[in-house]
Amino acid sequence: MSLEDKVKELVIEWDEEGLKELCRSVIHNQEATAPELLKIIGKIMKFIGDQFENEEIFLPDLIGSAETVKKSIDEVLDPAIREAGEEKETLGRVVIGTVESDVHSIGKDLVASFLFSNGFEVYNLGVEVTAQEFISKAEEVGARVIGLSSLLTMSMDFQRQVIEELERRGLRDKYKVIVGGAPTTDEWAGEIGADGWADDAIEAVELVKKLIDQ
Amino acid sequence: MNLKKIEVFSKDELQKIHSASLELLSDVGIKIDALDTRDLLKRNGAEVNEKSLFVRFPESLIKDKLKTVPNSFKLWGPDGSFHFEVNTSSTKFATIGTPVKIYDPTKSSGVRKTVLADTIQQIKIVDSLENILCSHIDVWPNDISYITIHSECIYQWVKNTKKPYGLGCLGRLASQDMMNMASIIVGGEDELQKKPRFIGFMNPTSPLHLPQIMTNGFSVFTKYKQPTIIAPEALAGTSAPVTLAGLITQTNAEILGSVIVSQIFNPGAPVFFGTVSHITDMRTGNSAMGSVEMGLITAGIAQLARYYKIPSRGPGCGTDSKVLDVQNGFERLQTLMLAAQAGINYITCAGTYEATLVESLELLVIDDNLAGMVQRTLEGINVNDDTIGIDVIKKVATSEVKGVNFLAEKHTRKHMKNELYFPKLVDRSRRSSWRKKGAKDIIVRAKEKVEQILQSHQENLLPKEMERDLLNYMKQVESRTFEDYKKAEGLMVDKITLPDGIEIKEK
Repeated sequence: MSLEDKVKELVIEWDEEGLKELCRSVIHNQEATAPELLKIIGKIMKFIGDQFENEEIFLPDLIGSAETVKKSIDEVLDPAIREAGEEKETLGRVVIGTVESDVHSIGKDLVASFLFSNGFEVYNLGVEVTAQEFISKAEEVGARVIGLSSLLTMSMDFQRQVIEELERRGLRDKYKVIVGGAPTTDEWAGEIGADGWADDAIEAVELVKKLIDQ
Repeated sequence: MNLKKIEVFSKDELQKIHSASLELLSDVGIKIDALDTRDLLKRNGAEVNEKSLFVRFPESLIKDKLKTVPNSFKLWGPDGSFHFEVNTSSTKFATIGTPVKIYDPTKSSGVRKTVLADTIQQIKIVDSLENILCSHIDVWPNDISYITIHSECIYQWVKNTKKPYGLGCLGRLASQDMMNMASIIVGGEDELQKKPRFIGFMNPTSPLHLPQIMTNGFSVFTKYKQPTIIAPEALAGTSAPVTLAGLITQTNAEILGSVIVSQIFNPGAPVFFGTVSHITDMRTGNSAMGSVEMGLITAGIAQLARYYKIPSRGPGCGTDSKVLDVQNGFERLQTLMLAAQAGINYITCAGTYEATLVESLELLVIDDNLAGMVQRTLEGINVNDDTIGIDVIKKVATSEVKGVNFLAEKHTRKHMKNELYFPKLVDRSRRSSWRKKGAKDIIVRAKEKVEQILQSHQENLLPKEMERDLLNYMKQVESRTFEDYKKAEGLMVDKITLPDGIEIKEK
């Protein structure tokens, strides 16, 4: 069984501990470096993402695999890369969260998972995230994109407030701001001066790819 | 537990209908045109009036003959690689109808006449579907000679599907052809009797009449132990009383009488306790297949079939709509769901509309999804410690990560496919994704599915000898004249009309 097949089996089986263990031993035995392992994982996530798009597997299959992979990246591969003093390759860094006064997370988590599965480095800040928290995390990690989610008409206005706060600090041009969530629309995104809007997680990935290429 | 069955009769009411049907059978009986069948019944204890042609069935004869009716049987495809079981507790889905036209949006009328190419396509589509298990000669090949339709269709059946097939009990001669051709295909009569390939349709004519041609064909099907669907198509207010209880009592007598005939023809012959009865629309005089009353009648027959422990057949997907509109949608699901919830074991008419006179391959693939939805409904809610999942609820609800959900839980992955049915043609995407994919409605999506099936469907390769024998047999059928058929059935008239409205004329 090739290393790729071994990794694939553990990812598909959601074997978090098994995958971490494999990554550790592979690095320790110098069979592959952490960046090489990341490349293999990226290829596997692409394969799983394609299966999902072709309706061969369901959402939980995709999300569960993404979470399994994320554990190994956060706990084994990222530390190994930092230790070696190397820079991690990424399509881009995205900070994402649900805005203040809103605790809805599922849609936003799907977007985070899809972005992650497509090779982006995602910082998922959770729910009820303030403008201050979004901006300081984006500054800290060098993000290119900030994603603001809202499921309530009541909380939608906080998306505007994050953008206004960026402007106030003179940071607006540094980031691409995207918004989403059931009550939001393309028109709303235009009205509050966001750079883009997507209707679902698959579209969100396309949107982020497009914005990062700009 | 599984969904509880809908019942339209109390125990007393059921008994009352049963008794009234027995009274009809013993006092009036059933008019049977076929002389040899009347003679056979007489020898077996029925009372025959040779003047009126009515055959009366004493209660003791009915009780005795009901004992040999099987409560389950299997049906096999041509090469024996596919089969399914029909019994008194499961639900299976199939086609059946009399479509003589097919959906064609390029025509101003929206339909065109069906031809053999449509018949073949329908067989291929059914072969590829998950829940529709059997096709029948229902898409009528208007472009071929009436006397060769059965042989042509059987040839196309063996070439294009792994599933069983249904044919009308269209007389002694044609039915014998069907058995002979099937015997060539399966390697002998013994194999055919052991593993039946065909369903025969036997429609008593209401009120209380078994026509000659059908009875002749019925005797051949039962002799070869091919399951027959006994299904009167009585219409409340015209060919039966307007009261549903009256219609059900009358048709129950028609079905029971025919069942007794089948067991006298061949004890143990498998039969379906069937119905296609519905109502007459009192404004137009037309039959109304999409009516809620049809669902109620079907439910009543299902309950009676359970009482007699005989597998039942009833219509679903019934609609009177002439187009693929909302009426078409709600009537087809309403009749389908009611038939299923009432416990009909073999639900038919997938792919048809306009009282089954028109076929749509698009509807056929949609009905496959509806059948899946209905099947899921019948399964009800499965309750045990694992499905209650108290541990996963505790874990997710108390997670320290804010807003964590059940999607990435192993519990979700383990159960999602059993718990949630995924109807593939149903759109659940967000508006912008839907628009990006072409803003297609379900008919367009279904059409794409039909095209995809037809493009990828593989023809069965027949052994050379079988192909040669079948073609030779078909030549023999082709060489017959219409007179040959009339003689074989004991008919000496110029023109006859079958119960499904199809006229038989000279070639």
